[in-house]
Amino acid sequence: MLAYSLPSDISPSTYVNAASLVRIVALGLISAAAISSRLFAVINFESIIHEFDPWFNYRATKVLASEGFYEFWNWFDPTAWYPLGRVVGGTIYPGLMATSGVIYNLLHALNLPVDIRNICVLLAPGFSALTAWATYMFTKEMKDESAGLLAAAFIGIVPGYISRSVAGSYDNEAIAIFLLMFTFFAWIKALKTGSALFGTVAALFYFYMVAAWGGYAFITNMIPLHAFVLLLMGRYTSRLYVAYCSWYAIGTLSSMQVPFVGFQPVRTSEHMAALGIFGLLQIVAFAQLIRSHVSSKQFQDLLFVSVISAAGLGMAAMVLLTYKGWIAPWTGRFYSLWDTGYAKKYIPIIASVSEHQPTAWPSFFMDLHMLTFLFPFGVLALFRQLRDEHVFVIIYAVMGTYFAGVMVRLMLTLTPCVCVASAVGLSQLIDTFVDPREPDVEQEKEGGDAAPSKQAAKKEKNAAPITGVGAIDDIVSTLSGASSPEKDKSGKTKAGIFGLDTRMVVLFNTAAMLLFFVLHCTWVTSNAYSSPSVVLASTNPDGSQHIIDDFREAYYWLRMNTKEDAVVMSWWDYGYQIAGMADRVTLVDNNTWNNSTRLTAGCAAHIATVGKAMSSPEEIAYPILRKHDVNYVLVIFGGLIGYSGDDINKFLWMVRIAQGVWPDEIQEPNYFTPQGEYRVDDQASKAMRESLMYKMSYYRFAELFGGGQVMDRVRQQQLPKQSPTLDYLDEAFTSENWIVRIYQVKKEDSLGRDLKSANGFAQGKKRKRSKPPVKRRALA
Amino acid sequence: MFRIWRVLLLVLSLAILSYARSSTGSSVLVVLDPSLSKDNYSIFFKGLEEQGYELTFRAPKDVAPAIIQDGIASFAHVILFTPETKTYAKDITPQSLVDLLSQNTNVILALGSKQTPLTSLASEFSLILPPPGTPLISHFPERDTPATVIPIPVSSSSPALTSGLAPVWYSGIPFALGNNPLLVPFLNAPAESFAADTTEDSGADALVDAAEKGGEGLWAGKDMSVVTGFQTVDGGRVLFVGGVELFNDEFAKKEVTKGVRSGNAQFAREMAAWTFQESLVLRIDDSAHHKVNETEPRDKYTTNDRIVYTTHISKYNPATNAWEPFSGLTDVQLEFTMLDPHIRTALPPVPSKPGEYSVTFRVPDRHGVFKFVVDYKRKGWTHLHSSTTVPVVPPRHDEYPRFLSAAWPYYVGAISTSAGFVLFSVLWLAGDDRDQRKKKGVKAE
Amino acid sequence: MLLPWLALLCLSLHVLAAKDSAREQLVQLASKNNGVVRLDEKTYDLLTSPDRDWSAAVHLTALDKRRRCNPCREFDPSWNAVAKAWSTVPRSERDNHFFATLDFDEAPTVFQKLGLASAPVVYVYPAAEGPRRPASGKLAPYKYDFSHGFDAEPLASELSRHTPVPIPYKAPVDWAKWGTFAVILVSGIITLRFISPVLQSRWTWAIGTILTSLVMQSGYMFTRIRGMPYTAGNGQWIAPGFQNQYGQETQVVAMIYGLLAISFLMLTVVAPLQKSPQRQRMQIYLWTAVNLIIFSVLVSLFRTKNRGYPFKLFL
Repeated sequence: MLAYSLPSDISPSTYVNAASLVRIVALGLISAAAISSRLFAVINFESIIHEFDPWFNYRATKVLASEGFYEFWNWFDPTAWYPLGRVVGGTIYPGLMATSGVIYNLLHALNLPVDIRNICVLLAPGFSALTAWATYMFTKEMKDESAGLLAAAFIGIVPGYISRSVAGSYDNEAIAIFLLMFTFFAWIKALKTGSALFGTVAALFYFYMVAAWGGYAFITNMIPLHAFVLLLMGRYTSRLYVAYCSWYAIGTLSSMQVPFVGFQPVRTSEHMAALGIFGLLQIVAFAQLIRSHVSSKQFQDLLFVSVISAAGLGMAAMVLLTYKGWIAPWTGRFYSLWDTGYAKKYIPIIASVSEHQPTAWPSFFMDLHMLTFLFPFGVLALFRQLRDEHVFVIIYAVMGTYFAGVMVRLMLTLTPCVCVASAVGLSQLIDTFVDPREPDVEQEKEGGDAAPSKQAAKKEKNAAPITGVGAIDDIVSTLSGASSPEKDKSGKTKAGIFGLDTRMVVLFNTAAMLLFFVLHCTWVTSNAYSSPSVVLASTNPDGSQHIIDDFREAYYWLRMNTKEDAVVMSWWDYGYQIAGMADRVTLVDNNTWNNSTRLTAGCAAHIATVGKAMSSPEEIAYPILRKHDVNYVLVIFGGLIGYSGDDINKFLWMVRIAQGVWPDEIQEPNYFTPQGEYRVDDQASKAMRESLMYKMSYYRFAELFGGGQVMDRVRQQQLPKQSPTLDYLDEAFTSENWIVRIYQVKKEDSLGRDLKSANGFAQGKKRKRSKPPVKRRALA
Repeated sequence: MFRIWRVLLLVLSLAILSYARSSTGSSVLVVLDPSLSKDNYSIFFKGLEEQGYELTFRAPKDVAPAIIQDGIASFAHVILFTPETKTYAKDITPQSLVDLLSQNTNVILALGSKQTPLTSLASEFSLILPPPGTPLISHFPERDTPATVIPIPVSSSSPALTSGLAPVWYSGIPFALGNNPLLVPFLNAPAESFAADTTEDSGADALVDAAEKGGEGLWAGKDMSVVTGFQTVDGGRVLFVGGVELFNDEFAKKEVTKGVRSGNAQFAREMAAWTFQESLVLRIDDSAHHKVNETEPRDKYTTNDRIVYTTHISKYNPATNAWEPFSGLTDVQLEFTMLDPHIRTALPPVPSKPGEYSVTFRVPDRHGVFKFVVDYKRKGWTHLHSSTTVPVVPPRHDEYPRFLSAAWPYYVGAISTSAGFVLFSVLWLAGDDRDQRKKKGVKAE
Repeated sequence: MLLPWLALLCLSLHVLAAKDSAREQLVQLASKNNGVVRLDEKTYDLLTSPDRDWSAAVHLTALDKRRRCNPCREFDPSWNAVAKAWSTVPRSERDNHFFATLDFDEAPTVFQKLGLASAPVVYVYPAAEGPRRPASGKLAPYKYDFSHGFDAEPLASELSRHTPVPIPYKAPVDWAKWGTFAVILVSGIITLRFISPVLQSRWTWAIGTILTSLVMQSGYMFTRIRGMPYTAGNGQWIAPGFQNQYGQETQVVAMIYGLLAISFLMLTVVAPLQKSPQRQRMQIYLWTAVNLIIFSVLVSLFRTKNRGYPFKLFL
């Protein structure tokens, strides 16, 4: 009997068609939602490239679009890392630029003269739609279409993914997540069907991923891990063999074609897992082959032992090679995921990046909202029917949550998994409560325990007699996926929901939650994740929005008022922006930690040099500036309007990094007060007050307050009434809200004096008369 | 009125081109202390005018003509014969004079034994003056002049002075030189001379009690200088003279020994020539670089390219008032620097071509933004500096060797694998199909 | 005429002798207390005498219980370990550098003289004379910076820059750790037969997975890496600030997540198995209510962390 009546005069095929139509429409709407919810940034501000790295990607893309691919490949950028220069072609993942380059040329071939900037800005939203689709396909493999739709909807609007893919954040992650999901989908497909075709597809998308994002290492380790676990579970099949081998062979070969990756897949530990599993699979396959032919028990034992030992030997060989140095050990950034204290101790450049901090629970909830608790439930649901592909999601879940906990930015890799799992869970809930069939009450007397058995569902569909309820069963089960309630042989339903109200309550509750989820996502996206940290927004007392545009103001000032080949020194955060917006030569840029794995000694020393210049007194910094032909020095100062991301707050990192290279010239403790506080007011330590960074930040700051209390709104400290003085630099430009301050480096004094005394003379100071240098020694 | 006079003078001097001229201009302002009369220095000034300079005279207190008008120097050269002057019009201050130099104006500055506003200037040029009121005295050689009037033999070490110059009469203060590389000492005090206040006439006593202290704090000996030039980084030249009498007619006419007139006149003339940028003035006309057996400069070079760097240097010839190619420099160096010089090599003159200096070298195997730097600094000569920036890039993707003998194992591996694959498929297609799994496995590889 | 010279000579010889004796004295002191010289005022002055031709690393501390200086007690062992390592280098080098410990209770005046208010502090005095006098001529003692914590490795590596030869310090093998590891391993292998059904049961793994994901999502790694306390000193258990949390928050949040997950589990899996309509209805309403309430609790908790958050459920 049914809780509510279904139209019974419709043929199942109609249901199916209608369902598929609904599905297509739903997917279309989801894509629309995904794209439009990422356009807040453009609506609130304007169509502009966001924060830091995207500016480089944008610049590189322009080169690609104008010069063509080969020029891009051989692009040597003399304006970065001056005077070392940067071989860009060999040190980036070209996937992103290539993608938008292709789109650009395509559109122009269709006579659609679209500006490259708009393509870059809108690339991420576009790909988010594709991600939704890929997630749909992936989840479909996990459960069924309805779950797939849910997953697509989740990934479409979940903030955890939006945070890296709003319009304008033109970064590798923008396309990488789509590639990630599609590679996984292809892998699962290959695993299920055992077709080398899908294995190859997976390999090709893996290649695309490698070309697009450094995070490809995640795939490189996930898939082998999956295969390995399957082996341990004794689930070796020829399908696994085919899928894995085709993926690994083709994927590795193609990934080695990316210049930046080169021979890493065979030389570094990150990739060794994949290689090892590949070898192991060969052994196991061989063993299986033998077993199928040989019957003798002892021989099989022998075989088993030999397989194990062979595996062990392989492992040992790898360890040895690593030890010998043939295989590079894990790189610092990778290692820092396991030993969480590692980065801070040994690679301050990496630790200094805010995205590399661990994640507190509020940001989890912020990014995932109700998925945080739907997700474990979904994982449990996957455990109920533990098919091979489910194992994959489960492993992914464990890994993803751990990594996301260690590093904020890895929340991104967790998000898809969360969406998939919770979609599976939620769709099961909905299935259970949408299903109109009610169990038979009289069964209660028997009280037989009916633990759900996993294949039951499938068996039922085949075994169900096509009569009355059975027919509807079919329809319902086609509608609501594979999980039709358990029955005994006589076709009587055992488990199910009684009554309509219960259904109503639960479904209503679920609907409400989903609604809340949507509201939450929209709010987070529009408020937290849509500001292009190039343009800041503050709200006036009357609530209206006030745009703070100091960065562009300053960069355009540089572009307009300085020589084309002027060298601008700043802390590396602003290197890409200066290059992108001001088009001037920079000493260091964000490439510092992007691939600090292979940061050459030269660059490491270079960044430390800048750190030293910033944290030393003027007269020590000046020769450094001259040696590097620095014309202008740019500092970010938030003290006036309380912009907390300024250089004084980053200053300690400069000190640390400098200390790493000049331990006896720069020492971190000297920059603290004796009480160990970090102060900028009149109690600030001597080293602090004399450092170039401090002087440049607070130069003439007191004048603003006209003798009143000089207040730093970021540090909330009062500064001395007397602002620091500069002898070796001239203030060249200070932006409206004092966020950006640019100083010009003076040239040497024409009389060969040091500039301090030169200034003293110019201001009419008398210097004490000196005695002639004594040539003879007095004999006593 | 006065301006017209100057214009006339200008026209006149233009008319007579045989006159030599400074390389920076011919207008000279002479600030003359009222106590010194112009006629006592007629030889020197006449000499300058004959050279084609237009002299304009003013007293220190006059307001016009100002040496700096609205921050622009109004004269090419300035002579300050004001050793004792205490007060100046407000356009003449130590600061304004330094400002002049930075605008490439040349200055001749006569110091005196009194403390004047300009005394503080000396220390900026790292000259160390003795205490006020202590002129240079020497009791050797035996002579009839007072001890403060000393004949100083000219040691013709500097190329600015013609050798074999007769000793010059000198009366004034000595000064010690700091260790500033921009100083160009021309005339040093005699070894046995020293600075002492002559009011109580016992320079000897001063010597004695100084000798007690082992010569400590005694301004004496040949390390003291009396005439010193200074060339600023931007090329302005200034001459410090310890006593203005060096230039006057009396000393010029005076005989050092029987029948030998003093070298003062010519010495003063040559000093003025150096200071007013007539002598020892060089410039780099142009510098070019290109790959070997190419002619046009590249906008970037590849590592290990062989490139040619060429530069042309010419010297100012006051006689013809023109720049002439100059191959006389044998010690010019070229540096190819990125942070530090990666290559430092001699830049020899090309024998056949006058004024051309050229060198060929191999770019180091290191990519980066390099600079060709020519930096020629010699005492007395104009400093030559030229710096050309050029990026050095690694080879393009298609500039590496295509076929590596070292890669044979890979070639063999690839070929054999594909051959084996073809062979296998052929065999497979030929045979009947058993054992699905194996085929797939191999195919996947 | 010659006498003063002789006198001078003798004097100098005498000085040398004195210096040697001082060195000898220090060497003995050091050897007595395996490599660490226990200092008092006198020996301190001796060690840091202006004409020393040896370098010295002085560890100023307050080990006495009454001083309640936990860092001191924490740091002392690693200091002694490094000093011991130093005492193993060959004599010729060893006697050019001394490790010394000065306890506040044995020489408070020294603390006053150095104007020290806190302990532990490590000063390294470079040699003031002789070949090892620093070229820079900077004789001011170098202060060791504890930013790397109280471990011995960073200390040894840092001090090695001031000693004649690097300190041959090797971290002692942690036998306890290895031992326990081995025991666990062995016992695991032995009992494999009995626990294998547990290991093979998917639900063990399921529970493990769920717990991991819950704990991780509630910011466990954050508290661990940042070494956050369980609660604030004043008993307040919610840390202020969005990117910040205490240990207890982790537990509470994990529990909330768990409850919500369970509510879904009940609704989906357990409720349908309930045979009597009434009980089932009860169950469903109950769990729905639980779900709703706990969720609103969670949201309100989030509001306290993130002030600007506009939404709220019943709470």
